[in-house]
Amino acid sequence: MRSKEFSLARYRRHARPAIVLVALVIAAAWQCEVNFRDLLKGIAKGLSMLAFFFPPEWRAFPEMIHPALVTVIICVIATPIGAALSIFFGLAGARNLAPPWLRLLCRSLIAIERGLPEIVILLILVAAFGLGPFAGIMALAIGSIGMLGKLVSDAIEEIDGRVLDSAAAVGATRLQVIRHVVIPEVLPSLVSHSIFRFEVNVRASVLLGAVGAGGIGYELNAAINQLEYNRATAAALTTLALVFVSERASDFLRARILGGGTV
Amino acid sequence: MLEVRNLVKRLPDGRVLLDGLNFRVERGEFVALIGASGAGKSLTMRAIVGLTSVSEGEVVFTGETGKVYRPTATSAKELRRARRNIGCIFQGCNLVRRLSVLDNVMIGRLGRIHPLRSWFYGFTDQEAREAMESLDRVGMADFAARVTGSLSGGEMQRVAIARAIYQHPLFYLADEPIAALDPKNTEITMRLLQPLACENPILGAFHQPDVVSRFCTRAIALRKGRIIYDGSPHLSSQQLAAIYGDGGAHPADMQPALVGS
Repeated sequence: MRSKEFSLARYRRHARPAIVLVALVIAAAWQCEVNFRDLLKGIAKGLSMLAFFFPPEWRAFPEMIHPALVTVIICVIATPIGAALSIFFGLAGARNLAPPWLRLLCRSLIAIERGLPEIVILLILVAAFGLGPFAGIMALAIGSIGMLGKLVSDAIEEIDGRVLDSAAAVGATRLQVIRHVVIPEVLPSLVSHSIFRFEVNVRASVLLGAVGAGGIGYELNAAINQLEYNRATAAALTTLALVFVSERASDFLRARILGGGTV
Repeated sequence: MLEVRNLVKRLPDGRVLLDGLNFRVERGEFVALIGASGAGKSLTMRAIVGLTSVSEGEVVFTGETGKVYRPTATSAKELRRARRNIGCIFQGCNLVRRLSVLDNVMIGRLGRIHPLRSWFYGFTDQEAREAMESLDRVGMADFAARVTGSLSGGEMQRVAIARAIYQHPLFYLADEPIAALDPKNTEITMRLLQPLACENPILGAFHQPDVVSRFCTRAIALRKGRIIYDGSPHLSSQQLAAIYGDGGAHPADMQPALVGS
C-alpha cells in the first residue's frame, strides 16, 4: 500500500513537465500544419516512390569511383590543413601561453566558427572562389579548426605549469618551450582527434558536394534532380560504403595510436 | 660565488613572503634550505632562477672567467644567459612525460643552442653523446630510449639530475628533490647529489633533518620569509622546534609558496 502511494507521488512529480511537453508538440504541429491524413497518404506515395530507386543502376558504379575519390581527397587535404592551423589557434588560445586578450580573441573566433555549420561557410566561400572542390576543401579546413583548435587549447592548458617552468628555467625561449614541451605533450591527442575529424569531414563532404563542392554528393544530387533514381541509388550505396570504410579506418588508426598509450 | 642580496618579495596586498634574505653560497658547499611549509623555500629558489619577480634586492653569481650573471634582471636576454648556468633539479614530475628519456636530458641544453637549431631538432652527435654520458653518471643509460612517463618516481628524479648535469651549470638548485621518494630512492638521489656538490655548489630545499645532517655541509633555516639560522647542518631538537614552530603551521604560513611571475 505504502509503495503504491510512493510510486503515485513519483508519477505526479513528472506529470507537469510531461503535460507541458505534449502541449508544446501539439502547438508546434498545429503551427506547422502537420496533417495526419497527409502523412498516411505520403507513406503510400513514398513507398511507391521507393520502388523507382531499385534496382540500383549497376553500370553507374564505375562512374561513381572518381567522384568518391574526389570526396575522399577533399578530406585528405582539408583535415591536415585544419589540424595544422588549429595548432596555431590552440597555442594562441591557451591560458598558460597567450596573453589574456589574444586568448579571448582566439577562443571567440573558434567559438563563432563552431557555431557556423560547414554548409554556411561553404556558401560564403563559393561566393568568393566559385563552385568546385577548392571551396569545399577550404570550408572543411576552416570547419575543422573549430573543434581541433579548442581541443588543442584545452590540452595545452592541462600541461603541468611546473613542466613549462622547468624548461624555462634552463634558459629556453618561449618558442623552444613550445617546440620541446608543448607540442610533444599535445601531438598524440591532436593526431587522434584529427583522424576522428577526418571521419566527420567525409560525411560533411558528401553534404557539401550536393551544394556544389563536387564529389559523390554532387552526383547524388544531380541524379535525383534529373529523376535518374536508379543512378541515385548507386551514388547513395557508394556513399554508404565510403562512410563505413572511413569510419572503420578511423577507429583502427585511433586504436593503434591510443593503444600505444604514450606514442 | 652565488650571492643573494636583501631579497624581498611583497604581494600587492602588502603581505611579505620574503623579508630581506642575505646569504652566499661558495664552491664546494652543499647548502640545505629548511623550514616549515610556506616559509619561503620554494619561492627563494624560484627567485634565484628568475621564475618569480622580486620586489627588492638581487641575485648575483659569477662564472669562472669572472663574468657576472643576474637572474633577477628584467631583460630577457640577460635572464636567459643567467638561467643556462643554473642547474635546476625539481621533483621528477617536471619532465616531459611523452618524450623519451634522452630527449628530456637534451632539454637541459636548450638555453645554450640557437632557438632555430633546436626547433628543427638539430642536436649534434657530440651533444647526444654528452647527454648519454650524463645519463650514465646517474645509472640511467639503459633507459635512454624509454618514454619518460613510464618511469618510476625515483628513476625520473635521476633523469632530472642527469638533465641538470648535462647543462654544465655553475651551481645547482634542488627544490625538494626527495620529497616524493621512498627511503631507498632518497638514499640513491642524495648519493648522486653529494659528489656533484664537490664540483659545483648545490642549494637544496629539504624536509628531512636527518638527511640534511648526513649529506649537507651547511643549513639555512627560513621562517616566515626570514633567515633564522645559518650554520652547521647538525641541528639540535630545540633548534628544529624553533625552525618548524610548535607543530601546526601558522595561518600566515599557508600562503601559496609558488607564486607565478
